[in-house]
Amino acid sequence: MTAAIQVEQLAHRYGQRFIYQDLSFSVPEGKVVALLGKNGVGKTTLIRLLMGFLRPSAGQCQVLGEPSHALSPRTRARIGLLFEGHLAYDFMTIAQIERFYRPFYRRWRRELYYDLVDRLGLSPDHKIGDMSCGQRSQVVLGLIFAQDPDLMILDDYSMGLDAGYRRLFLDYLRRFLDEGGKTVFVTSHVVQDMESLVDEVIFLQRGGAVKQLPLADFRRQFRCFGFQVEGDAPPQADGLIENVDLHGREPVLYSFAAPERLAAHLATHWPQVRLGDEQALTLEDAFIGLTGKY
Amino acid sequence: MLAAVCLKEWLKVRWVWLGLLALHLGMLLYLFIAIRHQFRVEHSEMIWYWAFELRRLLYEPIQYLPLVTGVLIAAAQFGPEMLGGRFRLSLHLPLRGDLLVWSWVAFGALMGAVLALLDALALYWIIGRWFPHEAAVSAVRTALPWLLGGWVGYFGATLALLEPAAPRRLVYLGLSAALLALLFQHRGYQEYDQVLPVLVGIALLFIPAVILPAHRYRHRS
Repeated sequence: MTAAIQVEQLAHRYGQRFIYQDLSFSVPEGKVVALLGKNGVGKTTLIRLLMGFLRPSAGQCQVLGEPSHALSPRTRARIGLLFEGHLAYDFMTIAQIERFYRPFYRRWRRELYYDLVDRLGLSPDHKIGDMSCGQRSQVVLGLIFAQDPDLMILDDYSMGLDAGYRRLFLDYLRRFLDEGGKTVFVTSHVVQDMESLVDEVIFLQRGGAVKQLPLADFRRQFRCFGFQVEGDAPPQADGLIENVDLHGREPVLYSFAAPERLAAHLATHWPQVRLGDEQALTLEDAFIGLTGKY
Repeated sequence: MLAAVCLKEWLKVRWVWLGLLALHLGMLLYLFIAIRHQFRVEHSEMIWYWAFELRRLLYEPIQYLPLVTGVLIAAAQFGPEMLGGRFRLSLHLPLRGDLLVWSWVAFGALMGAVLALLDALALYWIIGRWFPHEAAVSAVRTALPWLLGGWVGYFGATLALLEPAAPRRLVYLGLSAALLALLFQHRGYQEYDQVLPVLVGIALLFIPAVILPAHRYRHRS
């Protein structure tokens, strides 16, 4: 399967501070892939690199086969970008913004834009600057749909949206994706939304470590167990144990290993630890379990 | 695509431009009334003496009008682009970045040129009502550096607004201010006739220069 986005040995730094030094991953064509990570791990920087607004310090960052910082106009026409905060030309009206974008895109699908925007029940003369964040998100999504892009890069679509508009955004996005042939690279702070949207997840961690896997595999393999410690030396993350959380009422540890293997590992390396029951995880729990609370 | 670019630029500048049109018309009307008043309260010989012996410019009130116009048009065009990083929206359009920026400044310069042309024609007409044809032509030629000041003001403000790095912004503003200072030195008629082609040549360098900040905005590292 060819990759819509291919990142190889990417390095980027601000001044002397490296955000990543050897970041590699790919987004296969036709898949919906979420980039998840805690604040400050470099998600926004990565999105800016992919959108071509930053030049990487080293390594390769290819989008639809071209270097992301030198995309040709033809390739840009195939990429729909959603900027953080649903950025749009506030001084335009609903009708003006559609009239503005239309001539730039050969595959423009006007009906998709108005299908979405008409549901707002606003006049075509309504100014975008006078809309709520939720209303603006639908206008922006409608413009991306109308563009009929092969690849969508959606940077924190949930920012500023209440639960209703967030759900609406995802409903329309899913319906659009049902047409097939679209690749989506998405970031969001609302991890639970990803459950019904994405095929794969990429966890970006501080220092640029990445873990990419199908969402179904993550949900099936990543586990949480309670534990008890004899003495005051709790276990620590060690490769098999991904993370240990001592902040809750009951201490828990997280691992991709099966219970038997984990129990054997504990018996060998952390004999003071008694493994408890496996605990059910939501996607958000699992995300926090993998990336930590701090 | 060009029509779409013009639509967007017009939506941004229309109210500022219409306000400036009203300001220009008001200033030209004021100039007309002021000169008419001079001729009503003074002898013609005295005004002739002021104008051509003492070399007093009767139309000085409009001296800085083109400069203010250029700066305001640039602010109206590029202020909304830079607010919240909306410039990124434009840079993602499937169009070459340099062509896009040139089409923007072509539109802005054209809007300024319409007002400059209005000023020049009105000045010619107002001066021509009371003075000979030669004096009316001389008035327009005397005002040419002021009109060029509008161009410099427009491009200087554009460069400063598009530039992402603050130190470079100051450099652009400093260079523009230095060029403007050269354009507003005169104390009489047609003193720039000889040097104006050189100053126009320098001012034309703004056209390629405006690509630089847009390029730097896109390819920050």
